[in-house]
Amino acid sequence: MNAEPFLLDVRGATKAFAGNTVLDGVDLGVRKGEFVSLLGPSGCGKTTLLRIVAGLLAADRGNVLLDGADITGMPTHKRGVGVVFQSYALFPHLSVADNVAFGLKALGKPRDTMAATVARYLDLVQLGALAGRPVRGLSGGQQQRVAVARALAVSPKLLLLDEPFSALDRKLREAMQIDLKHILREIGITAVLVTHDQEEALVMSDRIAVMNRGAIEQFATPDEIYHRPRTPFALGFVGHSTRIAGTARDGSEGILAVETPLGILRAPGSYVPGSPVLLAVRPERIAVLPTGVQGDANAINATLTEVVFQGSKVHLHFKGLDGTPLLAEANRLPPDLTVGAEASLTWPIGDTLLFPGETP
Amino acid sequence: MLRSFDGPAGPGFSAYTEFLSDGFNWRVIGNTLRVAALTALLCLVLGYPTAVALARSRGGVQALLLVAIILPLSVGVIVKAFAWQIVLRRDGIVAATLVATGIWDQPKLLLFTEPGLVIGAANVFLPFMILPIYSVLKLIDPNLHDAAATLGAPPLYRFLNLALPMAMPGIISGTAIVFSLAASMYVIPTLLIGDRFQTLATLTARAFLLMRNEQLGSTTAVILLVLAVSIVTISTWAVRSRGDSR
Repeated sequence: MNAEPFLLDVRGATKAFAGNTVLDGVDLGVRKGEFVSLLGPSGCGKTTLLRIVAGLLAADRGNVLLDGADITGMPTHKRGVGVVFQSYALFPHLSVADNVAFGLKALGKPRDTMAATVARYLDLVQLGALAGRPVRGLSGGQQQRVAVARALAVSPKLLLLDEPFSALDRKLREAMQIDLKHILREIGITAVLVTHDQEEALVMSDRIAVMNRGAIEQFATPDEIYHRPRTPFALGFVGHSTRIAGTARDGSEGILAVETPLGILRAPGSYVPGSPVLLAVRPERIAVLPTGVQGDANAINATLTEVVFQGSKVHLHFKGLDGTPLLAEANRLPPDLTVGAEASLTWPIGDTLLFPGETP
Repeated sequence: MLRSFDGPAGPGFSAYTEFLSDGFNWRVIGNTLRVAALTALLCLVLGYPTAVALARSRGGVQALLLVAIILPLSVGVIVKAFAWQIVLRRDGIVAATLVATGIWDQPKLLLFTEPGLVIGAANVFLPFMILPIYSVLKLIDPNLHDAAATLGAPPLYRFLNLALPMAMPGIISGTAIVFSLAASMYVIPTLLIGDRFQTLATLTARAFLLMRNEQLGSTTAVILLVLAVSIVTISTWAVRSRGDSR
């Protein structure tokens, strides 16, 4: 963490539509050059927050600071905040080059430098050959790159991306994510991406803000969010996991014993004995062993119910004695394991995640 | 119509040369074009904002607006023209409003004047301007305006370089329709301005019905037809050439 001031600083942004609170006092600080994702399900307020930052929507309360200046009431066209829209919003009556030049013309840039700027940004997105083409005939991937070039050409202080990959098919999406990440890093621009796709957020971001019901639940690096989710929502939204509800018992040396329907399990943490807790573990932390093996780890006996082949890995779905679903991940199906067979699932105590449970 | 090509020495354009050599007839053509152009202009000025409002409205409000625009089409043009006779009188509501707002210092007669004719005609033909523009506007992605704003374009620039060019096919069709209708209208000028003011359409009717001069009637009808066809052709070409450039 450095003490450098934030390039984008949102303070207490609040917005309600017809009495429905969509954003509830959200704070968000983005450093210069950082790539931040707002990740959450539809309706979590991520797009509303983006529109408030762009000035396309007025917040009911709260402030937006850009580069130290309060831009809360400033009209969109004076902010210097670029946006790549989900629909790309290319101007259909203009050619590729004229789309990219639109902002430069509106800002009154001199004509001689304009052509060079347009050419430079079209080359950056590898569309130099299509400059004179109408935007109507372009493929989805090409349209997206025109939208990126158009937004970058006016040298915005901040680039906002609103689900820019959702209209592309999976293969193209993955290629474009890497391409765009590369382009943005080359320019060194600060960017905020809105997405509901956890993989997209994990691939592209320096930091991810996991949003739920109008609030940011966790704002951290992808690694930290995956391995140390702060809330059950962040745990569930990013990656797979097995969850086991239980009741806290006694703890010692920072390790808490939890009574669950599957037996006593241990996890790092401390709770008042008797309080409800939720245990969770990522599937790749679980080792599948023959029954009867015990060790200095959590262990559960379970029955294999389903094998889901995923290419480079295999998801093994188990059922605990009481029916609790459990998920383990392996590189390949263990040879002696068939559906219906019993196995021992074990994982290190240190890899067990502990959350406050819901009071029954 | 063939009558118009008859001449004293066999078929020819003598009827046209004769018609066009008379200064009064040029005034008739001028009246026709001027009234049609002013009507189209007034319809455009009133119709464009209405079409924008219609395209931006949602649900019930939009349905209500559409009904309010389309329903008057079911009222006969004669009924409307008579209604305008009342509205445009010296003690009518238009004169009263203009005096009340201080634009006029005393009430004047609008009926039997050219502005009165244009106002009445614009009222009748307004839906034909609104609907083509609306049908174009509703297909435009609302994000386009937001996108232009994020690129640094101020409101006036967005209007001139985005909203207007995008709406242009609708504006051209609406203007062509209203212009053609207004150039060929007969009932409205007859009731709102009278015989002193002749257009090609009223002159055609007069030639056939009153003067029994079939050659004059056919000649004016053909001139009107040529004007209307050229307007439609030019506007179609204008819309299509814009389409090609995309």
